[in-house]
Amino acid sequence: MNESREEMEFDVLFVGGGPANLASAIHLVNLAGKKGKEIEVCLIEKGDTIGSHSLSGAILDPLALKELIPNYLEKGCPVEETECKDEFYFLTRKKNITVPFTPKYMHNHGCFIISLSKFTRWLGELAEELGINIFPGFPGTKVLYDSGKSRILGVRTGDKGVDKNGNKKPNYEPGIDLLARATVFGEGPKGSLIRDIGQKMGIFSGKMPQVFETAIKEVIELPETSAFLSSDTTVVHTFGYPLGLDTKGGGFIYKMKDNMISIGLVVGLDYEDPLLEPYNAFIQFKRHPFIAEIIEGGKVLQQGAKTLSAGGYYTMPQLAVDGALFVGDSASMLNIQRLKGVHTAMKSGMLAAEAIITALEQNDFTQKTLQVYESDVKKSWINDELYEARNFSQALSKKGALKLIHLGAQYITGGRGIKDPLSIEADSSTLKKLAKKKAPEGSEPSAQDFDGKLYVDKLTGVFLSGTQHEEDQPCHIIVNDMDICVTKCFELYRNPCTRFCPGDVYEIEGEDSGKIRLKLNPSNCLHCKTCEIKDPFNNITWTCPEGGGPNYSIV
Amino acid sequence: MEVAVLVKQVPDTESLLQLAGDGVSIKTDAIKWVMNPYDEFAVEEALRIREAHGGTVTILSVGSKKTVKTVQTALAMGADRAVLIDDPLAEGGDALATAKILSAALKDIPYDLIIAGQRAVDDDNYQVGSAVAELLGIPQISQVIEENILDGKIKCKKVLEGLTEVVEAALPLLFTTQRGLNEPRYVKLPEIMKAKKKPLDVKTLADIGVEPGTVGAASNRVKITAMKLPPERDAVKMIDGDSVQAKAASLVKILHEEAKIL
Repeated sequence: MNESREEMEFDVLFVGGGPANLASAIHLVNLAGKKGKEIEVCLIEKGDTIGSHSLSGAILDPLALKELIPNYLEKGCPVEETECKDEFYFLTRKKNITVPFTPKYMHNHGCFIISLSKFTRWLGELAEELGINIFPGFPGTKVLYDSGKSRILGVRTGDKGVDKNGNKKPNYEPGIDLLARATVFGEGPKGSLIRDIGQKMGIFSGKMPQVFETAIKEVIELPETSAFLSSDTTVVHTFGYPLGLDTKGGGFIYKMKDNMISIGLVVGLDYEDPLLEPYNAFIQFKRHPFIAEIIEGGKVLQQGAKTLSAGGYYTMPQLAVDGALFVGDSASMLNIQRLKGVHTAMKSGMLAAEAIITALEQNDFTQKTLQVYESDVKKSWINDELYEARNFSQALSKKGALKLIHLGAQYITGGRGIKDPLSIEADSSTLKKLAKKKAPEGSEPSAQDFDGKLYVDKLTGVFLSGTQHEEDQPCHIIVNDMDICVTKCFELYRNPCTRFCPGDVYEIEGEDSGKIRLKLNPSNCLHCKTCEIKDPFNNITWTCPEGGGPNYSIV
Repeated sequence: MEVAVLVKQVPDTESLLQLAGDGVSIKTDAIKWVMNPYDEFAVEEALRIREAHGGTVTILSVGSKKTVKTVQTALAMGADRAVLIDDPLAEGGDALATAKILSAALKDIPYDLIIAGQRAVDDDNYQVGSAVAELLGIPQISQVIEENILDGKIKCKKVLEGLTEVVEAALPLLFTTQRGLNEPRYVKLPEIMKAKKKPLDVKTLADIGVEPGTVGAASNRVKITAMKLPPERDAVKMIDGDSVQAKAASLVKILHEEAKIL
């Protein structure tokens, strides 16, 4: 479509409405105000509202929040629980064993429990009050470069009103070109625009591959009589069952307000067994006697899934190029050791804002000026945290006793461990060839395992995420070569997409008839991006649909 | 052609609904607020009428501070101006009370035509549009899927069970929308910015000359006494069997013995 597009110019454009970009925008406008500068700031977000695509545990370390909004409680920051009283367990198939030694990074003293979707919505309201132009429901779908592909000029928003065959509908509305002196990309893990920037500007070259984990979580309302609600414990972390010791990940339960709890399972996407189904593992986790007792009598109010960037230090891209900066999970800022990324995301955004102020003062938005952001990150506590955790994800990927040896060595050497750096393997290359044709007995829940209330199947989960998409639009999930699905992928891995997707987007039809084909249900998509990350043939490309997606409000 | 459009802000139907402690309302803290879908048809039709006949489109709503967002959405779609009645004394009123407020506000808004959604998807009363027409003493046509304005008259098409009806009346008039009337336009990003600068009058009951006691919760002639969520859906039961016949037989057995509907 070579039509001319409307253009709008801003001083600064933020792509993505998560904590990194919102903290950045708020900090930027505050700083500009102090210097008496008037700037036009725009923030676009693909979710229909700010916060509707935000999902996390979440335990918040308020370090960055206190810097950004010292009176955050007076300003109405939605806190679920102010005290973190931790318990840490190893789960066997039937039992729970208290871990005798809790590593220091697992302590959450001074942190509090939040719902990330509520928290993000709140930040969005504050940003709007400051006069920032916030546009939810407008996905960025194309990065705009100068002719030499050496400078980023802005972002094009997606066309709306295109039918599934690519034809314009009567209400067709072309996307517009948003141009800015600086564009800040905070797309969250595995952004679809940063992928393009990586290919064109090489911001990931020379770095270890970004790796991810997928979290499936629910908010459950417990009966008032629940023993867990009246106990002192507010934070439970588990490892072991159902993932075992060789697959990265673990479970969590956090207490919220109004008799609610947040419960989830995180699965490292470097898992090897093609038959592993993270959603089933989540159900197994909930069915474990120790967990089942805590959640007994409850009702699932909301469910969702999202990936988190787990690679950390050695996977961080170049943080600034001519005309653009990269913040938060997009830039691997999450500290996997502490299972926290909101504080580092916010801080990275704030440091980016400070660099933009410098660029405004010098009227120079080239990398030369903007890279002060990169050096500020290196000087900040983000770097202290991430540097100490630089080999942590790699150690967790090790099997058996080796894992403990690496973890122990890193613990006493400030993260250096036995080998530094430990290399990282891309998540798409870790699957082992199919050994058995079926998942082990007991790992696949049967219909009886779901009661539609406390234990819900995948599709009920999609319903409980509030996910909706316009049905008549081009499929936003691109399978580049459909032949691979029915040949190599079926033979070697039995189409793991049908299992790793927590939204049942992928289905294989016709297995009985012998003539199989892949069927896509893009309307179910939770926007978690697990498919693009884990597909063993790198055959899936996730693009932004015209709007829609989950409607998270309390997860 | 002066067109007034009645707009209500409602919870998005995909929102998580939970009953509030009082048992007669829902919790509103996790709700996503949107324009009532039937009112979107109304705004769209008003814009098309303006495009064909000239004039202005005025949005009228009763609500609170948060309702400004929805009113601005209507302005971003292309409406010219808006009036929002925001008064704590108007809160909790029933359909008739809302209609009283709207009709009072319409005394200061010029109109040849008023368009309203057939109903709001939150309380499904189907009453406000009709009551406004009645209070203003103008004709009304409900559930319109097509309209045509010519020489001071409007012809509207309605779908009834098995047939289509064409109704004609003289302007001024109020009609309510039905699905199929149009496909509302997408809001353009630059228009959202412009909408913030369009005239939006926020008025109180006193401003439009409504006695506080005659509207709001105190005036209600009907009262919600209970609110319940739909029954929990049971888990799906998969029927096993070696053949289609065996599966059908066990389905019949379950329908007869467990569901007791055969």
